[in-house]
Amino acid sequence: MDRFELICPAGTPAALRAAVEAGADAVYLGFRDETNARNFPGLNFTRQDLAESIAFAHARRVQVFVAINTYPEAGNLAPWHRAVDDAARLKADAVILADLGLLDYAARTHPELRLHLSVQASAANAEAIRLYRDAFGVRRIVLPRVLTVPEIAKLNAEVDVETEVFVFGGLCPMAEGRCSLSSYATGLSPNKQGVCSPASHVRYEPRGKALASTLGGFTINVFGEGENAGYPTLCKGRFVARDTAAYLFEEPTSLNAMDLLPELKSAGVRALKIEGRQRGKAYIGAVVRAYREALDAFAAGRPVPRIDLQAMVEGGTQTTGAYTRAWR
Amino acid sequence: MRDPDAVLDADAESIADGRARLIEAELSRAGLGLVLRMGDRGSGLLLDRLVRLLAIRHPRAFVAMREMPDARVLIEPTDARVALLLRVGPELSLRLRPCQARKDGAAATDGMADAVISGPYARLLDLLEGRIDGDALFFRRELSIAGDTALIVALRNTLDGEEMDLLADALSFAGPLASLLPVLRRNAGPLLDRLADARRLLPPPLKWGIARIEARLPGFGPGREA
Ligand code: SF4
Repeated sequence: MDRFELICPAGTPAALRAAVEAGADAVYLGFRDETNARNFPGLNFTRQDLAESIAFAHARRVQVFVAINTYPEAGNLAPWHRAVDDAARLKADAVILADLGLLDYAARTHPELRLHLSVQASAANAEAIRLYRDAFGVRRIVLPRVLTVPEIAKLNAEVDVETEVFVFGGLCPMAEGRCSLSSYATGLSPNKQGVCSPASHVRYEPRGKALASTLGGFTINVFGEGENAGYPTLCKGRFVARDTAAYLFEEPTSLNAMDLLPELKSAGVRALKIEGRQRGKAYIGAVVRAYREALDAFAAGRPVPRIDLQAMVEGGTQTTGAYTRAWR
Repeated sequence: MRDPDAVLDADAESIADGRARLIEAELSRAGLGLVLRMGDRGSGLLLDRLVRLLAIRHPRAFVAMREMPDARVLIEPTDARVALLLRVGPELSLRLRPCQARKDGAAATDGMADAVISGPYARLLDLLEGRIDGDALFFRRELSIAGDTALIVALRNTLDGEEMDLLADALSFAGPLASLLPVLRRNAGPLLDRLADARRLLPPPLKWGIARIEARLPGFGPGREA
């Protein structure tokens, strides 16, 4: 039986080293600009950081994937093209792309470069996936977080492309690449500027013993004394409708699919992905170590140990997301 | 497939580590209190030297902090009398300020800073060194932040991108003292045990005396009462 590949996030070279040392098979990361969907202040890699990080990872037989997964601006393709060219020149093992034009550019300019389709492209059916494979030679699809395990199994049976699924971290409950909530409140979106609910528009305000989180002047949540707080991601807001405050779109829970390893294996999934390039190296080290342990046990046919990651997750609660359908 | 009884054990090494950390946090907190007593000029000179030294050791982070727009972040322990005022941007500097007492326990900028991070001293030290996940601490309400969130996120990301050992760095210009740190770290567990035993055996008046001396030491004890 093929082993799962464990794909881990890194927002800084130190986080990459933490992921490699904790047992990642591959690390994904982005450049320091709007070409990737985690364009946060102080985060990400310069060209030199990438060169050094690739040398570090390759010396330990760990792969490096570069996410260039936002949609280029009309009339300003250069930063996106440069990102693809530099990833190829610095010997990244794959680039993770979403935009059709950029996929075409990468396939034509760097035929030897391995292409992965980003979750941002939301390819969720066999026809779409076949098109990406046949037109651009895409080798792996990162599946959107809206599919159930039986749907993933069906997809894998229908198309011969590797699939990668998210198993841990924050949830983006909409079909990725199609959400405009953040644009509406702040003028900035994950699809264009690489930020959902950007920190520049976030404020936390004490209100008596409670803590309010606001985004672009809108109150997104008010946490009572002692209640776990959260980042004011718009879709995880608690809004008042008909005089009742409730999570209208999505509760601030985090995905953890560690219980579903056997199901994901039978569904034909090739790689498991951990979310969180914006999180610190302590988080990345702890989560990657836990998953390495679980995957090694699973591959050896041993029981998967119970590993407590509760303290790490936003909202302090975990879910198996859409995979088990309860959520959808 | 999942075995509910196979809970992972915390290894002994990390417990020893935790105890060494405790001593380090106490020592550095007391150290900061002493530096505050040197007055603005003396402490300023010392902190400038520390910043220069850290910049040589951690060029990536310090170049990034100098490239940030000019802004001030107050790092305010809830259990010490000293807060750190970090100025990022071209005029990067570090200064000490006495902690402000706050009724609601929440951080407030008071116009002195563009953003404030506050929490227990030991947690803040862990956070500055990237040993602990700041987001998780914030979600659990152990840390509070106020003011410019993007500034805090940028600073957190910049510092987290480094592997820093602030105490070792700070002690490295204290000459021979620096060589004591590894010894302290190795022996923290037994040392604490012996101290606790010794204290238990003391007659009560002496115990109270020690507690009173500790309370008078700058940096020890909660800052709110100051
Ligand atoms: S608002 Fe929510 S659903 Fe929309 S992009 Fe952000 S995380 Fe995803």
